[in-house]
Parts: sequence; C-alpha cells; structure tokens
Amino acid sequence: MTLESPPTAESSSLVEVRHVSKWFGPLMALNDISLEIGPGITGLIGPNGAGKTTLLKLLTGQSKPTLGEIRICGHEAWLAKAKAHVGFCPYGDATWDELSGRRLVRVTAGLHGFTGDEAERRTESVLETVGMSDRADRPVRTYSKGMRQRIKLCQALIHDPDLLVLDEPLNGIDPVGREELNELFLRLARAGKAVLISSHILNEMDELADHILFVCRGKLLASGSLETIRDLLDDYPLKVHVSCESPRQIASPLMALESVKSVSVQPPEDLFLEVQNPNRFYAEFGEFATTHDIQLHRLKATDTSAEAVFDYLMERASRPE
Amino acid sequence: MSLVKPDIETITQRPAWFAAWPIARTALHLVFRRKLFWVLFAVALFSFLLMFGAIYLLATLRQEYKWLEEFITSRLKDLDGSGTTFLNFMKAQGTVTMILLAFAGSVLAGNDHSRGGLIFYLSRRIKLVHYGTGKLLAIGLLPSLTTTLPALILFIEYGLLGDTGMYFGEKYPIIFGILGYGALLSVAVGLLLFALVSWMPRPVPLVMLWGGLFVFLPILSRILTLTMREPGVRRRHALEESPWRLLDFWNDLYIIGNKFFGVDKPLFIGATIVVCSVCVVSVIAIFVRLRQLQHQS
Repeated sequence: MTLESPPTAESSSLVEVRHVSKWFGPLMALNDISLEIGPGITGLIGPNGAGKTTLLKLLTGQSKPTLGEIRICGHEAWLAKAKAHVGFCPYGDATWDELSGRRLVRVTAGLHGFTGDEAERRTESVLETVGMSDRADRPVRTYSKGMRQRIKLCQALIHDPDLLVLDEPLNGIDPVGREELNELFLRLARAGKAVLISSHILNEMDELADHILFVCRGKLLASGSLETIRDLLDDYPLKVHVSCESPRQIASPLMALESVKSVSVQPPEDLFLEVQNPNRFYAEFGEFATTHDIQLHRLKATDTSAEAVFDYLMERASRPE
Repeated sequence: MSLVKPDIETITQRPAWFAAWPIARTALHLVFRRKLFWVLFAVALFSFLLMFGAIYLLATLRQEYKWLEEFITSRLKDLDGSGTTFLNFMKAQGTVTMILLAFAGSVLAGNDHSRGGLIFYLSRRIKLVHYGTGKLLAIGLLPSLTTTLPALILFIEYGLLGDTGMYFGEKYPIIFGILGYGALLSVAVGLLLFALVSWMPRPVPLVMLWGGLFVFLPILSRILTLTMREPGVRRRHALEESPWRLLDFWNDLYIIGNKFFGVDKPLFIGATIVVCSVCVVSVIAIFVRLRQLQHQS
C-alpha cells in the first residue's frame, strides 16, 4: 500500500511519473511507480538497491522505462527537449582530474549548445553562484570533495534547469560545506526550481525537504510532507515527549484522553505518551493543559523525523500482506 | 495538472549535433596534455621534415642542375610531385600513426567508461549517437594530423617551389585524393579503434591488441604471401596480388586510397569488402557496448 498525501487543487508539477516500471532482464528495478514533483525541495529516500538510482536515471533521460511514462515540463524524459529542463549532479566524480574546474563547466555549456560569449557568461555566473569563481582555474585533482561537488553543481546549473536532480550531493562533505550547500539548495528552491535530492542522510532531509519520496524494493512506499506521511501511519502511535513540573500527578488524567494510548513516567519531570490520532491529541491536550493548569516545559513528538518515519515504513513494507 | 513550460532556451541553443565538437575537443585536450603524445608526434613529424627538406633540395637542384633533378625524380617516384608522392607519404606514416593511436586510445575514449564520463555526457541533452560522433571526431582527427595535414603542406610546398601556376593547375585533383584518402584513414581507423577501446578501455591490453592488428597481421600476411606464392611468380607481384595481403588492414586502406588518386590496384574489391566489413562490425560493436555501459552505469 502506498501512502500518499491528497493532491491540492493548485498543485503544479514539473515532473509527472505515471505507472512506471523498469526491468533489467528478470530483475524488476521499479514497480508501477507514479509520482509528481513540483517546485521546492523533494527528498528521495530509500535503502541500497531500492531503485533510487534507476529512478534518477529515468528522470534524467539516461534510460527509458519498460512500462509507463515520464514527462518533464510536458516532454517525454528521454527527449532533448526534456533534458534541456533537467540538471543532473551524479554521485561519482564524472570529471577529468587534469582539467580546471572552469574548463569543465565551459565544456558542459558547449554540450548544451551554448557558444562564445553566452557560454562564458553562463560559466562565470554559475561559478559565482556556487562560490567557486576564485578557485576555478586550478586542476580538479587539487580540489577537496566539497569543491568537486560544487563544480558538479555548476555543470548541472549551467543551462538554468527547472529540475535539479542531485544524487547524494552531501556525501563526504564537512559540516560547514553542508550548511553552505543546503543554503544553496534552499535558494534554488525559493527561486522556483524543483530540487530532487537523493540521500541516505535522513536527518538532513528533515530540515531541507518540503516533500519526501520513500522508495523500497522498487516501490514507492509513501510520498508527501513528512508530517502528512507520519499522520497517515495510523498503525504506529505517535510518540510524544512531555516535560512538566508534576508528571506523576497528570499521568492518570492523561490516560482518560481518548487519543492517548499509553503513558510512561520518567522522573523528575518527563512523560512519554503514545498517541493514536495526533491532530485530535493536540486539540485535547491543549484543553487538558489549560484545565489542569500544567506548567509545561516541553512538548515534542519524537518520531516524526525522516529516520523514524522511514523505519516505520520499512517495517510496514516487510510485513506479510 | 502538468506545468508545460515553453522552450525559450532551446531557441538560442545550437542543435545537439554541435555538442560533438566540445566532446572531441575535450578528448583531444586530454591527449595533448601528455608528453608521450608530443614525443610520438615529433617522430611523426620527423619523416615529414625529411620529405619537406627533400622537396626543397629538389627545387634547388631544378634551378642549377636540372639533369640531376630529373634523374632523381625518374628514379624516386616518391619525390616527383605526382599523386604517388603524397599517397606513399601517407602510407609511410602508418606505423607511427598506429603507435600514436594505440597510446592515445584509452585517453580519447576508454577513460569515459571507467570514470563515469558516459553518465556525464548522456545526462545532458545529447544521445549516444552524438557522443559517438564526438569521440569518432577526436579519434579521426589524430591520424589527420600525421597524414592528411602534412601531405597537404607538402603538396603546397611542391607547388610553391616549382612552376606554381602550372603545377596547381594540372595537379589540383591531388588535393581531393589527399582529402579522400585522409578521410578514409580517419573513418576506418577511427571506427576500429573506438570499437576496441569500448570493449578494452585499459591501455596495456589495447596497445597489445592494436599492435597485433597492425604489426603482427602485416608480418603474417607477408610471410604467408611469400611462402605460398606459385613457383615463378615474382616477389613484387606476389606482394601486390596475393589475397593473403588483405590481412594487412593498413595496406587495404592503401589499395582503396590509390583509387582516390586515379590509380587502380589489384585486390581493390577484396580490400573494399574487408574495410567495409570492419567498419560495419565496428559500428555495431560500438553501439552494443555503449548501450550496455549506459545500462550498467
């Protein structure tokens, strides 16, 4: 079963994937996947072998689906017209170490059909965007992992694509570099671009992604905002951490609330609740706190992170139907 | 609802076929950065410089000792300024060109397969055919630098140092011969090398196989020709007419190349069949391998 958030009336997608399956001989890499990607940051999450790379290859037009169709800005994904709207930043260092960063970006401009002054202008512009202008004349072999990643980003951005596909862009990058790149991704998303980030660093997706796609064994397990997906997982009670001055006294009345499934007390001031219907709980708890005059220090759901949701989805997927 | 965006950018962009040039330029740039290439290129230029000097010497003799110049050119067809002069020069460049290609092959295309360059190219707005064209252009330009370009320079030198108007007026078809033979060498050798590099990207096995094709097979063809010739057939005739000579691919190209200069050689049909077959098999091998790599990457 796929968990999907309901479509909104004003939703507009740059990418439409309709009933896509991909076979490699007897191996089914993707199984009837349908999804839409719109402006903003979308995280693609899944374990190794889930079909993430295959999906990225299909989205970037490197491969054709066996069944179904993929449209990018209205064009079929493997057509040059669609590729003109897509910028791809691959996982590996698909570059030549002995060339300078500037030259590599300039070559990419040529591959997209830009020549002369226009190619130069675009090269300098993207180097400026990723903060590599002053270091771009050095050979790529002298670059750090983060600098290489930035040059790959330049290559993906050179033709000002509407969809940016990034395969593990933060892998091996130091915390400062991560923060800078995350800021860049947010800036691109604010500029109206669709940024699809494939990552296994789930914590980062919490902060970055507006929308998450969970993929496992070639199937789309869930798609939507993290909160929406968590709410739809009604067979996994939400875990809520409450800190207040007198936890023992309120534990018993809390159990009377319909949405609360279990309460455990951890002195001196912590309570851990399992909640069945989050929206209803938050409404009931507000009223409860006012009525009982509770001095609340903290109220936080502990399993709404991408990691926790991912674990639940994986567990759910491994259950027999 | 799908958001269909207008393709305004594509109007200002050149067609995808033009992407072949940046692909070729990058590959050549990587080759030109290697010292070994310049050493081999210098060796290739050495015979060009000898030829250049010989033509200059003949022009000087023509001014002061015309009988001596006539004697030399009657003996040495390679220096008489006819089509044969340039045809034989281009054939003689074969050995060094083959060595150059053997070492450059991995850099020109092989590294793409091991370093993920194929993904880099194919995720842009180009297809396999554009990528293949770019690589073939790069591989094809190298033999042109050691054969076609020097031959054209020698032709111009020959004309400028002699009776310029008459020479260029009478011998202008030689230019088409040089360009035709040069194009044949670039396309046939380029396709063969690209096919081998696609399946064998590492330099050492590639050099060994390439050496086998262009050193071992020619030697074998000569040995077979001479040992299996009929009694009474002269050595020279046997080397021109024996079907065993078709094992020498560079010689096959030379036989077809003669046609561009208006000379008919024995074994022309056989050589054409061999060269066409090699080209067709190479094209199939290239695209089968590239498709395979595309799915693996």
